[in-house]
Amino acid sequence: MRYIGDVLLYLLTGVFYWWWTAHLSVFGTAPNFIFLAALSAAVMARPVKAVAYGFFLGLYLDLLGTNMFGAYALSYTLMAYCVYVMKRHFDMSATFSQLVTAPVMSVACMLFYQVLSLSMAKINPLSLKNFLVEPFLNAVAAPVVFYVFSRLKWKFEIL
Amino acid sequence: MNKEKDMANYAVIFFVVLSLLLLLFPSSRIAHSARIVVSYSLYPSIHYGSDYEYYVRNVPENFLALLRTDHENRALKDKIKELEIYRQSAAAVFEENTRLSSELELSARLPWQGVWARVTNKEPSDWYGSFFIDKGARQGVGQNDMVLGFANGRAGLAGRIFEVYPDFSKALLVTNGVSSVICSPASGGFEALAEGKGTWLLKMNYVPEDSSLAAGAELFTSGGGFLFPGGVYLGRVTKVYPKESFMNFVTADIAPAVNVNNLREVFVVKRNKI
Repeated sequence: MRYIGDVLLYLLTGVFYWWWTAHLSVFGTAPNFIFLAALSAAVMARPVKAVAYGFFLGLYLDLLGTNMFGAYALSYTLMAYCVYVMKRHFDMSATFSQLVTAPVMSVACMLFYQVLSLSMAKINPLSLKNFLVEPFLNAVAAPVVFYVFSRLKWKFEIL
Repeated sequence: MNKEKDMANYAVIFFVVLSLLLLLFPSSRIAHSARIVVSYSLYPSIHYGSDYEYYVRNVPENFLALLRTDHENRALKDKIKELEIYRQSAAAVFEENTRLSSELELSARLPWQGVWARVTNKEPSDWYGSFFIDKGARQGVGQNDMVLGFANGRAGLAGRIFEVYPDFSKALLVTNGVSSVICSPASGGFEALAEGKGTWLLKMNYVPEDSSLAAGAELFTSGGGFLFPGGVYLGRVTKVYPKESFMNFVTADIAPAVNVNNLREVFVVKRNKI
């Protein structure tokens, strides 16, 4: 039953991200809810599930784009593992931690993806606008996503 | 605690290896299978979500008559756009026909046939790269089909179909960094390569240095390319760069015929019907 909840959460995250980017993106920028879902899962879930969430949410994002298939999956898998290591030393459930972690990990993931893309496909996928704006949008949206995920975990034992 | 740590390490190694396999062998069977399996996760959003959301959003409450009028209006608008495409197609074909008729005493009509599709998703991190449309293999869309957009009442090349799923497809924009189109000016004379840069402009390369290309010139697809038929409006030259001393050609910037930021509907021309 819990795994069905996980699958539903995964699909709903995708639907919400699609809806937001289709209707509420301003000048082509929007919070990356897929990334935020992966980050929230990395903070809240047990490590194996957190890494799996990172991988599959990354694959979803890979499928939406035309660049390298598997690059976001790799980025988010490693991001989930980094969060797993970090959360043993920091309290990442606090709002301030989320506000800091979301932009820092956003930038780290973007740069990692950029390096992967330049080294393997010789394509520059990162627009300056996204690089400058998206981390801040993610920071603003992060506490909300964390709250929703924590409620889901508490109420339905998902994650 | 140690067991959990071990499990986390095994999990991350497993998923990292899997990701690397997908990255390094994108054409392998495992990558292809993974792509097909994960593509099912797109159905709730790209297919069902966009369909239901579109109809729900467009249903005026309790006004069935208004709904019918609205649908008729849409159908008529689509018809007008379709006719405009046929008109442009006819103009290109007529020109070619005149030339061939005079040389070979042959004539043929090659009307473009295709399907209208709505743009259902654009990925912010790949804004000038691709978008999803709500028509797929079931509606006859095939890989590398030409995608036309409309701007100022005129059809222009938007891109081509990159991936086809049963009920939706992914289109590769001409502005994508991996996209390129062979083009020529309306007056002919030379062919050059228009390449996407991942921004709102295209880069035109390999323009002969003795050509008289100037800003404002309109460019069309050239029949020399395999992907697109000739005569499709590609865009307008915005700037011609002077020749560098180490090159024997000049380059130029092109503003695409259609603004990909405003693209809501596209016409997919079926390859086998061109």
